[in-house]
Amino acid sequence: MSNATLNRRQFITAALGITGVLGLAACGSTTSAGSSAPSSPDASSASASSFDGSFVLGFDQDFPPYGYVGDDGSYTGFDIDLAKAVCDREGWTLVPTPISWSAKDTLLNSGQITCIWNGFTIESRKDGYAFTDPYMENRQVVVVPASSDVRQLSDLSGKNVITQADSAALDVLSEGGSQEELGKSFGNLQTIDNYNTAFMMLESGQVDAIAIDYPVAVFNIGDKTADFRILDENLNSEHFGVGFAKTDEGMQLAKTVEADLQALDSEGTVKELCEKYADQGVSYDLWCLPKA
Amino acid sequence: MMGMLLSGYRISMVIFAVTLVGSVPLGMLVALGRLSRFKPLSLLMQLFISVLRGTPLMLQMFAASFMPYYVFGLKTDSNFPMIAVLVSFVINYAAYFAEIYRSGIQSIPRGQYEAAEVLGYSSRQTFQRIVLPQVVKRVLPAMGNEVVTLVKDTSLAFSLGVLEMFTQARAIVTSQRTMAAFAVAALIYWVTCLVIEYVMRRIERKLDYYHD
Repeated sequence: MSNATLNRRQFITAALGITGVLGLAACGSTTSAGSSAPSSPDASSASASSFDGSFVLGFDQDFPPYGYVGDDGSYTGFDIDLAKAVCDREGWTLVPTPISWSAKDTLLNSGQITCIWNGFTIESRKDGYAFTDPYMENRQVVVVPASSDVRQLSDLSGKNVITQADSAALDVLSEGGSQEELGKSFGNLQTIDNYNTAFMMLESGQVDAIAIDYPVAVFNIGDKTADFRILDENLNSEHFGVGFAKTDEGMQLAKTVEADLQALDSEGTVKELCEKYADQGVSYDLWCLPKA
Repeated sequence: MMGMLLSGYRISMVIFAVTLVGSVPLGMLVALGRLSRFKPLSLLMQLFISVLRGTPLMLQMFAASFMPYYVFGLKTDSNFPMIAVLVSFVINYAAYFAEIYRSGIQSIPRGQYEAAEVLGYSSRQTFQRIVLPQVVKRVLPAMGNEVVTLVKDTSLAFSLGVLEMFTQARAIVTSQRTMAAFAVAALIYWVTCLVIEYVMRRIERKLDYYHD
């Protein structure tokens, strides 16, 4: 009898405990059930101050050529290969983890991911993260259908323009960005969760233009260069860095990764990787981390 | 923040209302077709229900939005994503409602049809005056379930760039770096569902005649 009561109480305690943990986990991940963040107990319960050699790289898996799902189903991309090379040097284990882009801050600050490394723009985000020095230059461009009458940025006035939610292009075009006026002249500035859908919308006429990172534009256009056109005028030029949580440990890791990148550059690995992804818009000319 | 959320809420409610108004009657037609003694029609409706219940609503939305261009070569315009959302929601929910209606219709005992026939009712009269009123009562709880799900499913419209409430909440969260918008949006969704639960309970009570 008493045994049964005890069991029941234990059961209830356990059930409450599990509910609590699940609740916390839900707070951490916040969005779309599709993103499968690994929820190992130590990753979610411990604070960010326990880097144990497993380098959890948060990235948006719909962001080629930096991070995406390759033909064989594994995570691939320029930044992921670069991170792999860094981890090999340091003896860390690379754990590429696709995240919901709008939940990235929560994931980083709670320690569920070690860094964001995914064509991550430094400008306008400097205060929020511990960044490495910029390693790559990027520009934001506008893509229109080849048959469009839009020739320059000023022709976009009154048009429907789409960009990724929470992207650098959106920051540039919205209030406080360097192209705020241009953004205001649009008929409509829409957002979407991935650029592939945006290109389908562009092709079928639901939007007039896409504001997008240059390499991502080149990748999405692929061999359909006859159908799309990138405007000669840039929206903006900016730089990529690896973003860590703004803690002492985060800054420490940023320094380490930065030194590794310089080493990889001088031994030629960086150039090889750039060439590997050349057809997707990655170019060694855009590499901008000064030599050690 | 509230302004943006409420403008998103308005769109969510438009999706909700149009879906309900469209799919409740359409579901009945599908259910009747499914129960028809005319075999080809019945099989066609079975296929319809099977496909729509067996594929994700998100995928159906993409199909509705991009099929016109990629399959038929028809250019669409900036209003089209919203139309695609409405069409796919109506059709998808009609499939679910059809199955609920069928369960209601088939729960009416055979004997009632026989009694009606003896009393000289035509089969149309039997359905309209005897079967349907009972079906409405029986399917209400299951319908309530779907209606509440529908409120939350409106957030799927984000994937086509429609600015419904969840889209707006995400935009606010990313631009202001605060989770408050998610909390407010969650509260609004929940309160909406509470209202629906209340309304459904009122209707159920109203139709509660013949019961203890």
